[in-house]
Amino acid sequence: MPVVRLREMAWIFLRIGNLTFGGGDPIMAAFQRELVERRRWLSPDQYALAFALARVTPGTNVLAFCAAAGWFLRGWLGAFIAVPAATVPSGLLVIALTAAYEELQGMRLAAGAIGGLLAAAVGMMVAAAWNLIRPRLVAGNRLRIAVLTLGALVLLLGFSASPLPVLGLGAAAGALWTGPLAERQMREPS
Amino acid sequence: MNLLVLYLLLLKATVTSFSGLTSLPVIHHDLVVERRVLTDRELNAAVAAGRAGPGPYGLYVVSVGYFVAGVPGAFMGLLALMTPAFLIIPMARYVGSKANQPRIRSAIEGVLAAAAGLLVASTLPLARESVTGAFSGAVALASFVLLTATRVDIGWVMLGAAAAGLLAAAL
Repeated sequence: MPVVRLREMAWIFLRIGNLTFGGGDPIMAAFQRELVERRRWLSPDQYALAFALARVTPGTNVLAFCAAAGWFLRGWLGAFIAVPAATVPSGLLVIALTAAYEELQGMRLAAGAIGGLLAAAVGMMVAAAWNLIRPRLVAGNRLRIAVLTLGALVLLLGFSASPLPVLGLGAAAGALWTGPLAERQMREPS
Repeated sequence: MNLLVLYLLLLKATVTSFSGLTSLPVIHHDLVVERRVLTDRELNAAVAAGRAGPGPYGLYVVSVGYFVAGVPGAFMGLLALMTPAFLIIPMARYVGSKANQPRIRSAIEGVLAAAAGLLVASTLPLARESVTGAFSGAVALASFVLLTATRVDIGWVMLGAAAAGLLAAAL
């Protein structure tokens, strides 16, 4: 994988972090698309690691995800660029929205545009889930991945389990039931 | 209110929460009940402002800072929001250093599968709120197909969705 230039990296975090509506989960889905699928800056393993660790990090998940992704790409400097790039512009927008809150409530066209963005975010999240597991669905691994993914889904939806134990259970189940892809190497951060 | 105190109070709220709005009770207790520098109405407006824009819902902390101390207060909120994020790096370093062992790699794959399930599960509350008819259903489906079957830039998908929503509201 190539060394990522800081300016390019900052631009991606700026764009994805500040143009995605619907909260943290759609943003992480959009990052899956850009960082893993399109640019291949992060391996799916690195993405999964950042995604899972972000859940156990105090504070806003997606910002911890940005810190880990920036760190994987360019070390501490990368992290210190990625987090503000993803936060400051939408933070400024929140200040403006707060100041203009009363006036904005009646705007039908703006509500329409945001409605479209939220609907797109729904498709985006399911797409990210599918893109995440698709490369793992190779011979000898399909049943394992299907059981682990659907098992997590059933626990979350059917039993209202909270996300953190489900991710932990996924780690434990994955460690006990090893698959054929476990021998491949994972890249160190540059 | 002193900006440093405001930063520390907001940091206390963000560092003790693990997702978007779970810091709300702490902020309510500290700023509304204890110190009376924020009203319930302002807190509600802050949450709404945080959800109305792009970015994580946790950004409402910026709005809280703005209500308490204007633009400098908003920046304290922004700082309090960003500070805990860096705690992930020692963890990523530790797990990453073990990641060449097959069993750890296999565990990470289990996490990846669970994360995929989690992404689908967290779609539901958003879908219930935003996929309300044939139009929004079509937008969600188009977004899914474009993002799985093509390599189109995600920016175009979002621009298209916003334009479609705008058009539907105008007609």
